[in-house]
Amino acid sequence: MNFWDVFLLKILEEEFWGVFLPKILGGWVVTVKVLLISIPLSTILAITLAVARIYGNKPVSLLAASFVGLFRGFPCVVTLLMIFFALPEIGVYLSPYWSAVLAFVIVSGSYQSEYVRGAIQSIEIGQSFAAQSLGMTKLQEIIHIILPQALRRALPGVSNEIIYLVKYSSLASFIGVGEIFAVSRLYNSLYFRPIDIFLAAAVIYMFMCTIASFIFKVIENKSRYPE
Amino acid sequence: MIWKYPLLLRYLLYIAEGSVWTFGLVGGGLLIGFLIGLSIAVGQVYTKTAKPFLDAYVWFFRSTPLLVLLFLFYWGVFPALGRKLSPLACSIVVLGLRSGAYQSQIFRGAIMSVGESQLMAALALGMSEIKGVLHIVLPQALRISLPGWSNEYAILLKDSAICFALGVIEILTRTRFVVMAAREALIPYFFAGVLFLVLTHVGTKLVQIVYERTKIPGLIWRM
Amino acid sequence: MSNQDITLKVEDLHKSYGSNKVLKGVSFEIRKGEIKIICGPSGTGKSTLLRCLNLLTPPDRGHVWLEGEEITDAGTDIHKVRQKIGFVFQEFNLFKHLTALRNVSIGLEVVKGIKKDEAREIALEQLRKVGLEEHAHKYPGELSGGQKQRVAIARALAMNPVIMFYDEPTSALDPQLIGEVLDVMKKLAKEKITSLVVTHEIGFARSVGDEIMFMTDGRIIERGPPDEVILNPKHEVTRNFFRNITRLYERSEQ
Repeated sequence: MNFWDVFLLKILEEEFWGVFLPKILGGWVVTVKVLLISIPLSTILAITLAVARIYGNKPVSLLAASFVGLFRGFPCVVTLLMIFFALPEIGVYLSPYWSAVLAFVIVSGSYQSEYVRGAIQSIEIGQSFAAQSLGMTKLQEIIHIILPQALRRALPGVSNEIIYLVKYSSLASFIGVGEIFAVSRLYNSLYFRPIDIFLAAAVIYMFMCTIASFIFKVIENKSRYPE
Repeated sequence: MIWKYPLLLRYLLYIAEGSVWTFGLVGGGLLIGFLIGLSIAVGQVYTKTAKPFLDAYVWFFRSTPLLVLLFLFYWGVFPALGRKLSPLACSIVVLGLRSGAYQSQIFRGAIMSVGESQLMAALALGMSEIKGVLHIVLPQALRISLPGWSNEYAILLKDSAICFALGVIEILTRTRFVVMAAREALIPYFFAGVLFLVLTHVGTKLVQIVYERTKIPGLIWRM
Repeated sequence: MSNQDITLKVEDLHKSYGSNKVLKGVSFEIRKGEIKIICGPSGTGKSTLLRCLNLLTPPDRGHVWLEGEEITDAGTDIHKVRQKIGFVFQEFNLFKHLTALRNVSIGLEVVKGIKKDEAREIALEQLRKVGLEEHAHKYPGELSGGQKQRVAIARALAMNPVIMFYDEPTSALDPQLIGEVLDVMKKLAKEKITSLVVTHEIGFARSVGDEIMFMTDGRIIERGPPDEVILNPKHEVTRNFFRNITRLYERSEQ
């Protein structure tokens, strides 16, 4: 038996860890389920909002701008609670899980869209001229010429926002999603071992954030082209 | 029920009064974070031995959710240190500890962009390292940090809402009370959101004014 | 001649960065009121030498005495030493957040503890000396390169140093701005301010220099009166160097 096996056995021998560890790992699975859907959707929303703001006509652009302005100005937790508690008032009923996903997509998408917008605007006008001179439509130009360059430039900011989202996912516990923090809080009320429990939660989040930033570093390096 | 005008006004005023607590959280957090962040940045740039520890501190506070930190410190760390803090005090300290990690990155970038030659010129005049950093490097670095700092204010302001989890009666806690009393969620939450939005804009405008006022003629900093 | 007259004495100074030996035993001395010029190809350790002499970079081996006191001793207060040495950088290194006046006065206030008003008076006096009194309230970003370097000279002079070091003070300047800086330096030379100047301005060297030391590959290989070294060098390297420089110099004089 190596060190880790001994270590793990020692921990699991104790009743508390034997009970708590499987539970918090279950919470982790829920967190991952929330994130795996929220992250791609939020980035898609971000791109849509940014493109709408820059290339849309006046009303579309204004709408996108107000959407972003509003949800960047609202604290994430306020948006989350508003969606979960207020949507039923207008007849929309979503489960806690989908409310959380919706809130995270809207909030993170709004934040990310600012980076995408800045990146699109930083692309030289000559790129657009060249695309048009080839006979591309505006949509073709955006999809094939502008976005591939802009998304690379937006990547550092966007990945930063996604790492924020990993941490903000803990807020879903407020509306009854059984993710990492909800499990931690519950088991702290049963066993009252706050340092063990919340440090364990912290370690999982630190692990996720570190992995995420590593992945984004790799993507950034892989997608770089000589400039 | 909430639509009855005088009652609505009373509810909204009650929520708005929470700004005082929110500002307490943000002001305290920013101040503690400033002191910690600046010390960490100076340590990271000018020392070798302390750097790994400072890096670890920054890493821990940057990659743990505020919510987890609040509970860890409120229920765990401070009682273990024999000093149970009030929810408000604990929230301010935790916001400050965390903001320090974020602010250190702002200040570190700023110190680096001031450049080594400025400190060298100060040393050549006979200044000690401490005096050189204090009189020459930091005055420039702090100005460079202002935009990043106003961003940190906006983040901290919005994150301070999470402190409702410990029961600090700031804007969001009050909003939840109103929601319970009025059995109506949309208007209170929307109002709270707009309140945060306005406070963000007022704060960043103020920092922007300071930035314009302290601008140095003819100098463009490359970040 | 008594020891008192020797302002700076350098003996067998060595410095390397890793395996790269930059200084391989440099020795010389400067008497009070003397102007000594250091010349040589770039990358031969001239800047490193100046930085070692005021301890911005610690030398590996060798001794340096300033006014008879050994400053390479472990116990020396390096801040005291640097106060006595005025240092003019190639890239000026003016404090970007301070006006010209404050650039000159801050050392007086912070290092020497002189009162604000008095420091201001001294600073104005120094700026007058370099002809920049009317620009006292401008920030470095609002000054030309030549003006910046003159402020830098005033900043160093204000500390009332026993010796001035100039590290290629005109190399970073546009050709039309070099003259104003050299004029200031010549004026100071006439006042017999002890100086050690790293420069390739041979006109300046010949008109005010007491001695030229030619450095290459971390050593001083030739020294003597400027005219002699420039017009009649003994070493091949020296000859080539000055031939090239002179050619350039004459072209720019035309």
